[in-house]
Amino acid sequence: MHSGQNPCSGVGIARCLRAAFPNLTLVGVDHWQGSSGLHDKSIDETLLLPQWKQINDAQHGDHILSILNDDHLWIAAMDMEVHWLAEHLGAHSNLLAPGAKALELTAKPAVSGLDGLGFRVPDFISASLPDSDIHYFLRQHAWQCWLKSPYHDAKRISSWIGFVKARDAMAKSWRTSKLFLQRHIIGSEETIAFAAYQGELIAAAHMQKRQITPEGKTWAARVTAVEPDFLEGFKEAIRKLNYTGGGEVEFARDPDGHKWLIECNPRFPAWVYGGALAGQNVVAKLIAHVWNMPFLETVNPYPFFTRVVQDIPAKESVGIPLPPDPATMAWASEGKKGKSGPDFSALIPTLASAQEQHSKTPDKSGDVPEHIDPSYFTEISSLTEQYVGPTPARIHLEQWARGRFDRLAKRVKQASLNTSRIQIGFSVKTCPTDDYLRKAKESGFFAECISQMEVQRALSFGFLPSQIILNGPGKFWPLTDKPVTGLHALYCDSPEEFDRVIALPGIAKVIGFRMRVPKVHSRFGNPLDDPRRFSDLIHKMKKLQGRAELGFHFHMPSWAIGLQTWMQALDSLLIWCQIAERLSGRPVKHLDLGGGFFPADLERLDISGIQESVRKALPNVGTLYLEPGRSLTQDGEILVSRILDLRKTPDASLHEIVVDACIAELPLAQAYSHRLFFKQIGSLEANSPPVRLSKGETRILGRICMEDDILSDGVSLPESAQIGDYVIFGDAGGYERSMSYGFGRG
Amino acid sequence: MGLVAANLQDPIAELVAREKHFQEWTEHPSSSLVHHDAECCERARLWFLAYARSMEIGNISQFEIKAPIWLQQLYSWGPSSWPIAWCELVNKKVLDCGVFAALAREVFKAQGHEVHPAQALLSYNETCTNHWKALWKKGKDDTVFPWIGDRLVYHELCVLELPDGTAKFYDSTWGNWYLSQPRFGFGAVLAVRSECPRLLRWGSRTVACGEWVEL
Repeated sequence: MHSGQNPCSGVGIARCLRAAFPNLTLVGVDHWQGSSGLHDKSIDETLLLPQWKQINDAQHGDHILSILNDDHLWIAAMDMEVHWLAEHLGAHSNLLAPGAKALELTAKPAVSGLDGLGFRVPDFISASLPDSDIHYFLRQHAWQCWLKSPYHDAKRISSWIGFVKARDAMAKSWRTSKLFLQRHIIGSEETIAFAAYQGELIAAAHMQKRQITPEGKTWAARVTAVEPDFLEGFKEAIRKLNYTGGGEVEFARDPDGHKWLIECNPRFPAWVYGGALAGQNVVAKLIAHVWNMPFLETVNPYPFFTRVVQDIPAKESVGIPLPPDPATMAWASEGKKGKSGPDFSALIPTLASAQEQHSKTPDKSGDVPEHIDPSYFTEISSLTEQYVGPTPARIHLEQWARGRFDRLAKRVKQASLNTSRIQIGFSVKTCPTDDYLRKAKESGFFAECISQMEVQRALSFGFLPSQIILNGPGKFWPLTDKPVTGLHALYCDSPEEFDRVIALPGIAKVIGFRMRVPKVHSRFGNPLDDPRRFSDLIHKMKKLQGRAELGFHFHMPSWAIGLQTWMQALDSLLIWCQIAERLSGRPVKHLDLGGGFFPADLERLDISGIQESVRKALPNVGTLYLEPGRSLTQDGEILVSRILDLRKTPDASLHEIVVDACIAELPLAQAYSHRLFFKQIGSLEANSPPVRLSKGETRILGRICMEDDILSDGVSLPESAQIGDYVIFGDAGGYERSMSYGFGRG
Repeated sequence: MGLVAANLQDPIAELVAREKHFQEWTEHPSSSLVHHDAECCERARLWFLAYARSMEIGNISQFEIKAPIWLQQLYSWGPSSWPIAWCELVNKKVLDCGVFAALAREVFKAQGHEVHPAQALLSYNETCTNHWKALWKKGKDDTVFPWIGDRLVYHELCVLELPDGTAKFYDSTWGNWYLSQPRFGFGAVLAVRSECPRLLRWGSRTVACGEWVEL
């Protein structure tokens, strides 16, 4: 009786029957109080049942059987219910639903029961086949396919990422791996609604969609009698299937007139009352046949129907569900259908997808006025004024970068006068240049490494083992090397790793665990969301007695989730650490808060506030660690490029330029916003400074032949720009340097 | 004081008259969890509280009452054997409304709210209650409270005592806040009882400790 954007056919069936049999008693059945069709005036009574997962199969079967035996009819209106009835009840003269054999022969995607009716079946493939086969199938069909479950639901697939996500979601939602992909067919969408009883076709109506909702549902349509030629064959098919109940054959008619079978649904369609209004009441004809009684027919000389949204009074006896908690409402409104109530599982993945989105969605904050430190701009002006040489060229902003290190070192020194000492571990992976390692060392920072190779690099640069923090899932790579011992700290990524680490004498002064706090989407660290695994961690912590000091590490990139959420995660971490300390009996002396700060965010970070929170929660913590890399190096370099091509629209406005930089030099071009500057060749001699580019309509394309080589979605470039002019990308240090690669250079 | 059938409005009195467990429901104290006073339960309780705090990450709501709507993700609703201890429940997949309510109270308490046990009597149809009876038979009969009647059911919740003396009843099993307006029919709340030691205002009603309040 659900009657939302994706309605069930219950209300339509009831309206068909009410129009044809005014005195019939109609009982609406549902498993959710929120199904609004229960309030429809065509319904005399309601039978609300518990959720399907609370249903006792035998009891439910007996209940329906008793209703049928009392000479009432039961009309199944949902695919899942039809399957349940076929499995648990079998045939009954008053049960208007197809049996197991008919379901098997009309199952998607082949629908073998309708062979011989002139339908073509679009190509399909099981979604359980090896990914390489599926990728081939998608390529063959121009990435225009549908992923379908065996019961209900279809998702349009146009990319591999979209397919993988949809497959996971659908498999979880329908608890089956029997999904399949089917080629999309371009054609007008048509349907045949039908009613049959014990193998005899009683009625059929042909519907052609005229208006379709964004969900692909019918909003207006033409309904007429089925073509006689088709009807004869269809009668025979129904006879062979021994079909009983309502049904719907969906197909697409292409411009050449071919009919492509989409699926056969084993129940009436939701638009069935629209058909009745157009003069094709297939539901009434079925009941009239079964009970051998006359019915009122509707005649409509204009065989069309359309839908309207209608407000109706709610019935107190049914009731409207209580309001859920507002937080749930906020999530549930994000496109959830709510058929079985709000889905609370949206909460965790939403956070995760927000993190993913941050790393994929191009940031368009360039059109928001942003303060640029005059010294930063002055240094860029000065360096680009003097620059002569090949492009693209990455230029180090020495003074600016030095300033970042100096300011942090000064803040740390001041903060260490408070409760706990602050120790910086420079993230070597982020930008392991000599220059940055030197600055880190001179600033009194430790080196934070993620492999033995990085450890060796730090040692060769003069860092002592006792100035090295070792993290990450691959900290003993390469395996052939003997691990360096005497480290300052080592944070284990798994209990298994801890068992190996604890067996290495003198490996580190501090041994701890990287914590994966519940609700934080990450593949790293020790998950805490299982009480048994948490108990195991506590046991392992106890083993540190007399061997090493206990510390905890967590890393959550605040640049991707925002400082507010980062602080919430920190608060949560402190609780976990408090508990670990209490249960293990081992004092937590070290707390490493990782890195991942955006440059400006780290400078805004309330270090003394964090110290105070940590002091209150974990008074034994003597040293707090931060592991900046990006925040110290990202804006310490610029990438100077030159324009190779200018493209204009027919009305001569500049809409695209090609520069000699590309995603090989700026692999994270689309991951975060870069400040962009422009300098004309002619103006170099005039000694004019570069111009900051604001958001505009001109795309900046990279030089290589890769579709994703788009460096900016739009800037406001002067119309006077010429080939050879400079486009300067700010924020080109950090990972933009360390993850860059050579490409297209011969 | 219990809820007395004779004092009720007629529709409810009719319902009550059919219920053989009615007296038990009205006299039943709210459920509370067992703590073995040992590390097993303390570890489980602390794990739960830390987990609850983590579930607030990313909650940017401006309100202070952050209902533990995530409880329904962590556990399914179904029969629990009583008494139940902390060290047992955290490893369960299925819990009844009494455990849900007790856990929600712990979360609200940790958030700094005044929260107390509460109970409710709700009306459903017999088809529903028969299915629930069947579901509960899968549990251990001797340790399961007979909360399911023919058309009435006993339910446990929690009540928040707000600083201004008003009550907010939270159904921790389904994540709903109860409304004080009366209604009859499927799922209607017929009466509630609070264990808050102070008088609370709930809509136009006054809720006294241990007394059933009809809607």
